[in-house]
Amino acid sequence: MVELCSSEESDSDAVSLCFQSLFFVLAVLFHFSQRFTTVVPESCMLILLGLVLGGVVLIANKKQLYQLEPSLFFLFLLPTIVGDAGYFMPARLFFDNLGAILTYAVVGTLWNAFCTGFSLYAAKLLGFIDEHVQAEMLDFLLFGALISAVDPVAVLAVFEEVHVNETLFIIVFGESLVNDAVTVVLYKVYISFVEVGAENVQTADYFKGVASFLIVSIGGTMVGLIFAVILGFITRFTKKVRIIEPLLVFLMVYLAYLTAELFSLSAILSMTFCGIGANKYVEANISQKSRTTVKYTMKTLASIAETIIFIFLGISAVDKSKWAWDTGLVSCTLVFILIFRAVGVVGQTWVLNRFRLVPLEKIDQVVMSYGGLRGAVAFALVVLLDGEQVKAKDYFVATTIVVVFFTVMFQGLTIKPLVKWLKVPRATNRKPTINEEIHERAFDHILTAVEDIAGLQGYHHWRDKWEQFDKNYLSKLLLRKSVYRKSELWEAYQKINIRDAISVIDQGGNVLTSARLSLPSMASRASFPEVTNVTNYLRENGSGVCLDLQVIDNIPGAKVEEDMETHHVLAGNLYKPRRRYQSHYSRHFMPLGEQERQDREVFQRNMRSRMETFKSTRYKRHKKERSLKKVRRISHRNKRDSLSLCSDPVVVPVETEDKAEHSDPEKDEDVGITFIARKAETPKQRPKSGKTSLSLEGCQIPLLPPPPPAPPSPPPAPSSPTSEDSHLPWKGSLGSPPPCVSLEATKIIPVDLQQAWNQSISSLESISSPPAPAEPIHPRVSALSRLGGPRPASYTPPGSAAGSTFSIGPQVSQGSFLFPDKKKEEEEEEEDVEGGVAAEMQPLMSSLKPPGPLPPPPPPPSSAPGSGRRRTPCVYLRSLVTSPPPEPHSRGPTQL
Amino acid sequence: MVSPVCSKQIGVLHKRFKQLSHNEETLRRDHFNEIDDLAFNPIRAQIIEAFFDRRNFHQNGEGKVQEIGFEEFVVVMSHFRPPSAHMTEEQRGKTRREKLRFLFNMHDTDNDGIITLEEYRHVVEELLSRSGTLEKETAKCIADAAMLEVASISVGHMEPDEFYEGITFEHFLKLLERFEIESRMIIRFLNMDTTTLCK
Repeated sequence: MVELCSSEESDSDAVSLCFQSLFFVLAVLFHFSQRFTTVVPESCMLILLGLVLGGVVLIANKKQLYQLEPSLFFLFLLPTIVGDAGYFMPARLFFDNLGAILTYAVVGTLWNAFCTGFSLYAAKLLGFIDEHVQAEMLDFLLFGALISAVDPVAVLAVFEEVHVNETLFIIVFGESLVNDAVTVVLYKVYISFVEVGAENVQTADYFKGVASFLIVSIGGTMVGLIFAVILGFITRFTKKVRIIEPLLVFLMVYLAYLTAELFSLSAILSMTFCGIGANKYVEANISQKSRTTVKYTMKTLASIAETIIFIFLGISAVDKSKWAWDTGLVSCTLVFILIFRAVGVVGQTWVLNRFRLVPLEKIDQVVMSYGGLRGAVAFALVVLLDGEQVKAKDYFVATTIVVVFFTVMFQGLTIKPLVKWLKVPRATNRKPTINEEIHERAFDHILTAVEDIAGLQGYHHWRDKWEQFDKNYLSKLLLRKSVYRKSELWEAYQKINIRDAISVIDQGGNVLTSARLSLPSMASRASFPEVTNVTNYLRENGSGVCLDLQVIDNIPGAKVEEDMETHHVLAGNLYKPRRRYQSHYSRHFMPLGEQERQDREVFQRNMRSRMETFKSTRYKRHKKERSLKKVRRISHRNKRDSLSLCSDPVVVPVETEDKAEHSDPEKDEDVGITFIARKAETPKQRPKSGKTSLSLEGCQIPLLPPPPPAPPSPPPAPSSPTSEDSHLPWKGSLGSPPPCVSLEATKIIPVDLQQAWNQSISSLESISSPPAPAEPIHPRVSALSRLGGPRPASYTPPGSAAGSTFSIGPQVSQGSFLFPDKKKEEEEEEEDVEGGVAAEMQPLMSSLKPPGPLPPPPPPPSSAPGSGRRRTPCVYLRSLVTSPPPEPHSRGPTQL
Repeated sequence: MVSPVCSKQIGVLHKRFKQLSHNEETLRRDHFNEIDDLAFNPIRAQIIEAFFDRRNFHQNGEGKVQEIGFEEFVVVMSHFRPPSAHMTEEQRGKTRREKLRFLFNMHDTDNDGIITLEEYRHVVEELLSRSGTLEKETAKCIADAAMLEVASISVGHMEPDEFYEGITFEHFLKLLERFEIESRMIIRFLNMDTTTLCK
């Protein structure tokens, strides 16, 4: 897209080589000196770079080869920047401050343009400006118009680094976006006046000018909004062709720009409003990947365009043939634009503050006046002037360059210290918490309601009206059905959830030591006197283990139901690890990535465990269904993904009958906690089923049996508070007695969590990170614990496991590396607690030597097993790519 | 309690009060329910209740009333007054506390000084009720997650046998620390539209 306009081909190779090498050198310098770049804004550096380059080219070539072509600027460079700005504009903030923005943009720009123009004319009459500058009043007004507009590119470049507070930023930036409409209109009106000749302009023409301003700006906005609706509507139907979603977004936003340009409307306004309008619907409609693509592509394009513009500004400045210097004009212009900007801002703010609820402070006004940066738009406009008609064009060009350089370089350099010195409230780069989201929304409604009660028709009233309209009509039209159902609060919640999940995983997963599993358990201890004793006992022994005592089997359900439930638990708890990508390529369809699926699963788990933390006893039905599908998918995939399975020896311990013990209809969802106390009613110590191992030689894939018949709908728990609920303090009033479980009736089943967790973590980690130090315990973190819980990969009826099966004796350690595909860590030990808890607990805690084929004792539950056992990611990755070890039997602790 | 709303605004509010109450001396709940614009507000009930809550009239009030006079009406409304331009930090903090107290009382329906999970769920449910299609279950999840978050913010590490009863006012303050309530929970009563008054 960068077309360097070279008039001479001869030296262009050498020059471009120079260009590149210099650029790289400077780019390296940029990155090396962090401190340097924090002081000097990027835009300044780019201009300097451009100056140097221009100088080099000029010396080498005697003639300037490159210059900023207005057509290139207006057709390609500007739209990328404006499109980015519009699409990612914080809409709420923008509309909250719309009044201020419009005032500054329209009134302020007109004020600046006229005052600068007239003052320059006065200066000319008074003789401050040299006689060589052949300019009439109209010329000066024209110049005043193009020099007065604050430039979005420059403002964005400087203010993004300064991080002033949001209100201030949106006002300055919104102004710079909207005032382009004003500038362009003024510019065009003056141009036509100049073309006609000042003496031929009639009074009616001035009115036409005003009318054309209205038409241009409102028309541009309308075009933008129309395209926004079209874009939203189209993205509603792209579910099958996700790959074109980003393309559609770029295309339509750009089309909005071109269309407005075609009709001589304000293209910038059109594009901005298209972006603002479409953002909400498009973001909701398109897939996560498309969202990321749109975001990064737009940002990248915008910063490329910005870079090019600033470099070209520097280059153009060197070319002496293009401009003519007049000190009087330059200094007058500089002084005038600074003064009038300041006066304009103070005056308008004074008026605005009478209406604003939160007045703009003096400090804000200083920053706003000082932040009036001029930039490439002014430069492009002045270059566009016709030298025949505007005699003083060369002088104007020189002045514009100086003004742009001064504002971007000097003001851009000093605004950061100024902001610091004035202690302007900075923006906090912080994501809102769920509670803040909730209150934010509650707040809107409260304010609206109070306005309604007071009989006001204020801002909140109208916003509420708009929201209702949006909800009732627009969203129905523009949003997918599936999206439409979800409220924004839900979206926010989901986002926060995903963020948490990711951050926990990023932290290396070390957070999951058993000590951290202590959830804010909601059950009242008083209900379980005996069991509490167990806990206390364990705690006194320094085990640090948290017993999940809520998991108590108080319903001796029927066997059939138990089986079904078991199945639910299995299906629900499956954690499907990472898998290799299929070798499947299509240009138009992207297979659903494993990563995505995995993220989703992480998310689901996280969410579910959150709910469970509060002991909500209901099953989420749809979730269940989904997880059931997952089971099916797994078994299905196994057939296809044979290759990836073969690459490593895989241990697939298949739990069989033990699963049947997960009979607890509701409480089993809490398996993520280390111990499960439950009735000892069922037969104990079921034989561990053979573990399936996939050997390399065999390359056999266990064709897992199809999932058992779909279980019936979840047990009739929902919607009525169950007995569990009655334990909760807030439900205590319900008064149903909590089921007390006598010690004789309980078994304790230890479940090793760390193993599975750590492996899943190591499979998730992409960089090796040292075990993180103990972090503050966070309930949400612990909620994730379920991720690593014992997750059988599939439910396999006893004896049906195919593939090379051999019984796993005690020699197969628990720590053996289980291939993530089929990783399954399930050590269940069932022991009768009958004979005194103390005797029972000790073995459980220290060594999990089971009567059956059980792995060596896991270290005492602490963070130790986590850090010790965790495979470093590199090792893990290598194991994925390198050919598998020769003997499949070499599994064992050594492999770790 | 000194009414902090200026006299001109009181005049406007008085007109509105008369209009709402059909020229009676007191306002009852059904008067509020008659307001058309309010009909779509998802948390209408809570807001209306706030007008009849003694806690919002006096510092130590308690319980509900059946009807309110103009004075109470203005006092409740005054929670939404904008901060005056020249305010010391201390005053600002006080206003902030008052405003937050109002919000807190609104959510704490049973007046026990704690927003329990139950109450919080109720709030979220109502908030979401306007989006219709969302199940109650979802609201519950969100409330639960939010409550967990509160617990983590305000208590930090919890022993397994501890449990979080609900949001106390102190926690509530802490929770909305970053929320610039003093510059947001404000409504300008002056620029009233006269057309609504004549309706």
